[in-house]
Amino acid sequence: MPYDLIIIGSGPAGYVCAIRAAQLGLKTAIVEKWPTYGGTCLNIGCIPSKALLHASELFEQAGHGLAPFGVEVSAPKLNLKAMMAHKDATVKANVDGVAFLFKKNKIDGVRGTGRILSAGKVEVRSEDGATKTLEAKAIVIATGSDVASLPGVAIDEKRIVSSTGALKLSAPPKKLLVVGAGIIGLELGSVWRRLGSEVEVIEYLDRILPGIDLEVAKQFQRLMEKQGAKFHLSRKVTKAETTKNGVTLTVEPVAGGEATTMSGDVVLVSVGRRPLTEGLGLKEAGVTLDERGRVEIDAHFRTNIPGIYAIGDVVRGPMLAHKGEDEGMACAESIAGKAGHVNYDVIPNVVYTYPEIASVGKTEEELKGEGRPYKVGKFPFMANGRARANRTTEGFVKVLADEATDEVLGVHMLGAGVSEMIAEAAVLMEFKGSSEDLARTCHAHPTMTEAVKEAALAVEKRAIHI
Amino acid sequence: MKDISCRLLVLGAGPGGYVCAIRAGHLGIDTVLVEAKKLGGTCLNVGCIPSKALIHAADEYEKALHFASGENPFGITTSGPVLELAHTIAWKDGIVGRLTSGVSALLKKADVKIVEGSGKFRDGKTVEVETQTGLQVIRASEIVIATGSAPIELPFLPFGGRVISSTEALALTQVPRNLVVVGAGYIGLELGTAFAKLGAKVTVVEAQSRILPQYDGELTRPVGKRLRELGIEVMLDAKAKGLDDKGEALSVEAADGRKRSLAADKILVTVGRKPMTDGFNLDAIDLDRDGPFIRVDDKCRTSMRGVYAIGDVTGEPMLAHRATAQGEMVAEIVAGEKRAWDKLSVPAICFTDPEIVTAGLSPEEAKRAGIEAKIGIFPFQASGRALTMGKEAGFIRVVARADNHLILGVQGVGDGISELGSGFSLAIEMGARLEDVAGTVHPHPTRGEAFLEASLRALGHPIHI
Repeated sequence: MPYDLIIIGSGPAGYVCAIRAAQLGLKTAIVEKWPTYGGTCLNIGCIPSKALLHASELFEQAGHGLAPFGVEVSAPKLNLKAMMAHKDATVKANVDGVAFLFKKNKIDGVRGTGRILSAGKVEVRSEDGATKTLEAKAIVIATGSDVASLPGVAIDEKRIVSSTGALKLSAPPKKLLVVGAGIIGLELGSVWRRLGSEVEVIEYLDRILPGIDLEVAKQFQRLMEKQGAKFHLSRKVTKAETTKNGVTLTVEPVAGGEATTMSGDVVLVSVGRRPLTEGLGLKEAGVTLDERGRVEIDAHFRTNIPGIYAIGDVVRGPMLAHKGEDEGMACAESIAGKAGHVNYDVIPNVVYTYPEIASVGKTEEELKGEGRPYKVGKFPFMANGRARANRTTEGFVKVLADEATDEVLGVHMLGAGVSEMIAEAAVLMEFKGSSEDLARTCHAHPTMTEAVKEAALAVEKRAIHI
Repeated sequence: MKDISCRLLVLGAGPGGYVCAIRAGHLGIDTVLVEAKKLGGTCLNVGCIPSKALIHAADEYEKALHFASGENPFGITTSGPVLELAHTIAWKDGIVGRLTSGVSALLKKADVKIVEGSGKFRDGKTVEVETQTGLQVIRASEIVIATGSAPIELPFLPFGGRVISSTEALALTQVPRNLVVVGAGYIGLELGTAFAKLGAKVTVVEAQSRILPQYDGELTRPVGKRLRELGIEVMLDAKAKGLDDKGEALSVEAADGRKRSLAADKILVTVGRKPMTDGFNLDAIDLDRDGPFIRVDDKCRTSMRGVYAIGDVTGEPMLAHRATAQGEMVAEIVAGEKRAWDKLSVPAICFTDPEIVTAGLSPEEAKRAGIEAKIGIFPFQASGRALTMGKEAGFIRVVARADNHLILGVQGVGDGISELGSGFSLAIEMGARLEDVAGTVHPHPTRGEAFLEASLRALGHPIHI
C-alpha cells in the first residue's frame, strides 16, 4: 500500500515532520542513510557540541571559577575519554528517543539512501546494495546540509577536521587553528581552549559572527580575547600542508599583501555548511535548485514538481534546527490540508559560547540598511543583582523598537544563560508587542531576565537600575 | 532643623520604595526617601540577593565535591575542595555593598533626597524623622508607605543565641555542624539546602503535612527527592516546642506524638514574614487594615487620601518584583498618569534544588475558579538540553482554558529554570493561547523548548514525547 508521505532524512526537520504527519493520520515513512536517526543536530551537531560545551565549562570553572566563592580546589584533572563518554551517552539517549517516537507514532523507519525517481516514487538503496521502491502521495526532502570545504584545505578529519572530527579529538591539541569565526568555529574553539588548547581563529570578513548584531559581536570578541583566544580578521586561507606533527596554513590578507604561514596541531575548518542535494535524483525528477544550490520552494514548502516538498537546511533561510523543526511541523500540516505557517521574521538564534549570545529579529545593521527609524534600549548585566550573585556580569541586553509605533523589531543578548531568555522575546515579537508591553510585564526578582525588562524600559529612557 | 516640604515622601527604601522614588524622580516629582537602615531593604541586604549569592556558592561547592569524588559524568577530577565560609560571606557582603551603593547613586541621579533615620507619622501629610542630627519634619502632599516585612518570631522560640532568622543565617562565618530549620517554606528550604551542600547536617521541622505548602505536590516532589538525596531529614506534621532545658537542642513533637530532642548548633526559624506596621506611629492616621496588612485598592491607595502603600506591607505575595511594580505604578499615578494594578501574572520563584517557577493559575486554582482547563506537562527527561547538562529532574506545565485555549498559568520545576519565569509571565500578559506559544519558534537546544512542548501536549499533539 502506498504511503501518504515519505520523508527523506531524519534530522530535526524530517523527524518532526514525520511525527506531526503521523499525528494527523497520514501513513508515513522516513528514509535515513545513517545508522541512527536525528541527523546532524543529534548525532554530530547541536547535542554533542552542547554536551562538550557544558562539560568543558565545568572543567574551566573547577580550574578558575571557584576561589572567589570561598571554595578552593586543586587544579582539575581531565579524563577526556570520560567526558567523551558523557557526550556519547547524551547523543544515544537523544537518538534512541527519536526511534522510540517513531515507534509510538507508527512511522516506518527505512534504512538506506533515498533517491527520488519521480513524483510519488522513492528508491531506497540499503548498505548491501539492495534497492526497493516506495510509493507515496507526497515526498518531503529533508536531507539537510554538509560541511562546506575550502579550496586548498582538504579535510581528513584527523589533522584537518570539520565540526564532526572536532567533536571526537582524542586529546586537546596544543594549538588549534580555527578557520572561520562563525558559530560553529567559536563554539568548538571554546571547548578546546577550555580543555587546554591554544586557539587562534582566522576569519575572511573584518568581523566575527556575521549575521549577529555588530555591537554584540565586537564585545564578544573582546571577551573571547580576554579568555585567551586570538583572532586574525580579514585574512584568507589559501593552502594547507599537513606534516607529521601538524598543519601549516598559508594565510593572506583579503585586501592583498604578503602571504604568511601559521602552524597548528589541528585545523578546524568551519566556513559554513552547504545544502545536501547530491544523489537524490533531483535533476532527473526535474526539481529546480536556486542559485546557491538549495531546493527552491514556495511559501508552502512546495518545489516546482507537484507532490514534492522540501524543508530544513536544504532550503532557503537560516540553517538552524528549530527553523527546520518549525518547517517540518508546518509542512506536515499543509500536506494534511491544514494551514501550516512559519514566521521567518521571528526565528531566534543562539551561540553557545561563554558568555552565550542569543538574538531574535533585526540587528541594528539590518534596520539601518532598511532605513527604518528605531530606538535602542540597553541594559548591562553588571547592574543586575542575580548576575552579581552568580559572578556572571559580562554582557548586556539590547531591545530595538520602531521609533513611531514602539513595536519591538529585534532583541539581542550577550550573557551567561541568555539562551533561555530569548524565547520570551520571540513570543513578544510573535504578538507584534511593543517595548512597553515588555516593560510592563512583571519580571521575577532576582533573575537575569530583569535585564530584559530594564532594557525595554531604557527604550523610553526610563530604566530604573542604571 | 528646618522643615522640608516636598511633593512625595516615600517611607522605606526596599525594592518597592527605592524604585518608587527613582521613578518619581525621573518624572520630575520632588521626592524624599526616608530609611532608618540601609538602602535596598530586606531584598538587597538580608534577603533575595545575599541568599542567592550563598545558594550559588553552595552549588559551586557541591559541584567541586563531585569533581573531587570523580562522581560526575564529565570526566573531571580535582582534590577535595576546601571551604572558607568567611571568605564566601565576605564576597557576598561585597556584592551587597556594591548593589546598595549602586542604589544610592541611582537615587542621587534621579534627584531624590534621602533622609536617614526612623520616620514616624504626625498626620497624613507630615512625617517626623529622628536623624543623627536631630528631629527632621517633612511635609509632603503625598506619602507612600513601603516599610516591608520582618521575620515572624515564635513566642516559645525567640530569636537570640542559637535561634536565628534568615538574616543571621546569611551572616554565619562557620558552617554549623547541626542545623535545624523550623518551617519548610521556601526560605527555610532554600537556606537549608545551601547549608546541607556546604556540609551541615540539616533537619527540617514542619508543622504541616507537606513541604512548600503553597505549591502543589506535583511541583514539590522533585524538591523532596533532592532533599533526601542531600541527606536532609524532613519531619512533617511535627511541632517545634522550644529549646530543651540545657538550651542546646530543639524539642520536637514528632508526627507519631513522640518527643524528640534535636541537637542543634543553630536553629533557623523560617515560619513566615509579617508586615511592618509597627514603629512608625501608623495609629496617628488610622488606616483601614486587611488582616495584619494595610488595605489598598487597585491603585495602591489606602483609606486616607494622599497616602499610598506598596510592597510586603500590603499583603501577599511578598515578592520584591511585586513591590517594584507597585512602586513604579504609584510614582506614575502621582505624576498624573492613568495607571492601575492590572497584572495577570506576578511570577514567583523558589530557589530550591531544583528550582520552582510559577506564573498565573495552577490546575487546582483554575478548578477552584470554576474554569474547565486543559493541562500539558513536558518532562525535562525528554529535553535534549537537560540531557546535555546531566540534570533531568522536573517538568514544565501549562494550564489553559479548555474552551478557547487561553493560557491561564505556567509552572515548572527544574534545574536553573528561574530564568524562564519572566517568559511565562509575558505569554500570560499578552493573552497568549496554546497555539500562540506552540507557533513561536523556540531555540534549540534549550530548556525553554519544554514550554512549547507542554503547550503542544495540551493541544494533544506533542512532538518529543
